[in-house]
Amino acid sequence: MSRHLPVLLFLLPFLTALVLPMVGLARRAWCRPLALAAVAGMFVLALVNVAVVLRHGTTRYDFGGWAAPIGVEWVNDGLACLVMATVGFLALIAMIHAGPTTPPSLAGREAPYYTLILLLLSGLTGIVFAADLFNVFVFLEVAALSAYALVGVAGGRALVSAFRYLMLGTMGSALYLLGVAYFYAATGTLNMMDLAERVPALITSKAIVGGLIFMFLGLGIKMALMPLHSWLPDAYTYAPDSVSPFLASLSTKVAVLAWTRIMFWVVGPTAEIEHVPVLTLLEELGAIAAVAGSLLALAQSDIKRMFAYGGISHIGLILIGVSLGNPTGFAGGVLYLINDMVMQAALFCLAGVVVTQYGVRRLEDLGRLRAGDPWLMGALIVMAMAMVGFPPTGGFFGKWYIMLGALEAQDYVAVGAVVLTTLVTLAYFFRIFERIFRDAGRPSATDPRPVVPWSLKVSVGVLSAAAILLGVASDPLVSVLRTVVVPAGL
Amino acid sequence: MIHVYDSVPVLTLGRVLIPLTQLFGLYVLFFGQYGPGGGFVGGVIFGTSMIVSILIFGHDASSSRLARTVLHGDGLGLLIFAGVGGLCLIGGGEFLNYAALDVPGLDDAARRYLGILLAQIGVAVDVAVTAVSIMFSLSVETEDEDVHAGTP
Repeated sequence: MSRHLPVLLFLLPFLTALVLPMVGLARRAWCRPLALAAVAGMFVLALVNVAVVLRHGTTRYDFGGWAAPIGVEWVNDGLACLVMATVGFLALIAMIHAGPTTPPSLAGREAPYYTLILLLLSGLTGIVFAADLFNVFVFLEVAALSAYALVGVAGGRALVSAFRYLMLGTMGSALYLLGVAYFYAATGTLNMMDLAERVPALITSKAIVGGLIFMFLGLGIKMALMPLHSWLPDAYTYAPDSVSPFLASLSTKVAVLAWTRIMFWVVGPTAEIEHVPVLTLLEELGAIAAVAGSLLALAQSDIKRMFAYGGISHIGLILIGVSLGNPTGFAGGVLYLINDMVMQAALFCLAGVVVTQYGVRRLEDLGRLRAGDPWLMGALIVMAMAMVGFPPTGGFFGKWYIMLGALEAQDYVAVGAVVLTTLVTLAYFFRIFERIFRDAGRPSATDPRPVVPWSLKVSVGVLSAAAILLGVASDPLVSVLRTVVVPAGL
Repeated sequence: MIHVYDSVPVLTLGRVLIPLTQLFGLYVLFFGQYGPGGGFVGGVIFGTSMIVSILIFGHDASSSRLARTVLHGDGLGLLIFAGVGGLCLIGGGEFLNYAALDVPGLDDAARRYLGILLAQIGVAVDVAVTAVSIMFSLSVETEDEDVHAGTP
């Protein structure tokens, strides 16, 4: 039965999403427990899947029993199973968090709301496992369509951002599909394994180069790489506070994963276009995104928007790591990918608590948090340490291995970009703490103290613990990453 | 809001043609195994017949009300499709490997035939329901706001 795990991981949220509208018709109160149970089941299955893959190695799944390249194939390898486990974990935490932060305007519409979240998760599962370029497109669309709807689900100002996200996201999907079409025209196949045998010999062909550029642009919009990021800050800022942890932690990172698969498993890390190594180009783009994203974060005055730009700069750091062209950098990039998923989930969960329970959105009002829980402040401090990269947290070790990889590759642009990003990140978290501890805006003794529900405390607490645990356990994690994740030929 | 179309020829022809369209939709669905057609096309034709019936007889006709109730089963078609695929898992094969459907007294080819037919019925149901739901969301928008508006 263990070979069916990837498809079970997909079917669990997918079937629950289909059943929810019918259940919601009769018993509206059952929607949330059902969705929570489905996500918890996903997390358990994903953990079992990690154990199976680490013990028995990579497995491939042929849909309908038709062997690839004729049939559609899914691959369950080290990278997929580790990212899937992270997706399952964060989906569970974000679902717990989603209860008290769900906007009141959604009352009565729980069924479609949870259906959309579960469809988003099933789409992301599909992208993680798909080993077929067209299948990746299908699941990108499943995930993206649910994400557009989720951003706009509460109406109001978010509708404008959702529409903008819809336009740019659709353009991204279209560009990706165009790239897939070029690849298909040049090679006659869509299966990644099959393509990997044919593409390296054709790398000088205009169709392959064009297709690669289109696919990168399409996925670049999906992962919000710096010049293509303009949909992200608005979408994450105005999305309901219960939705932004899902989107921020999962969707852009899974797009990075899809690109990594295409770059390393199809095109190959040594590919050169007109004597320019593709990886060098990617690494420079990542450096620009990392530095510029963190500088833009420094200029924000809305906390959700600031965290959104922080996420954009981290996408750049991940891209630097995987594009360094050596196993250390690649393992560091993937470690940072996992860390960044946890950090973004934690930051947007915290922002959700701050916005819904304290009514604070802007930096200058952050002083009001002093009336609140030490629990909340502790989580914020841990997450700030992780984002900046202080030692016991995972953020430090991710950056550490990316730096080691950059030094190994003697790539001082990458080293400089990582250091500069770290300093600017420190600066914008300093702004947050300066606002909190400054006396102006300090709460008076008569201000009501908001009671933060236990589920919000659990979600931010568990995520902070996870950020530290990822740092403490980074040594065994990196050795696992080096053995099971690093692609052949690196 | 769409009301009854006030024209005797249209009403009479509608009564005759809508059942015929639905019969043709079913034919296309089942004939899809041997020739052009299949679940998607059959579903579109079936959905069109329901849309035409709403356009002619209005939102308040009993058939339209039936269509609106059916809308809540939006995921039913996909559920049939994924459920048939899931039965293959129970039978020991891969997802959607219809040869693994555990039906006694059928050989491999007949099982695949059955599996594809059931999956196509699921597709047809889903396409038809989606077509009607698009129609409804375009035509009864103002009503919908009244039902769902949570914010003042």
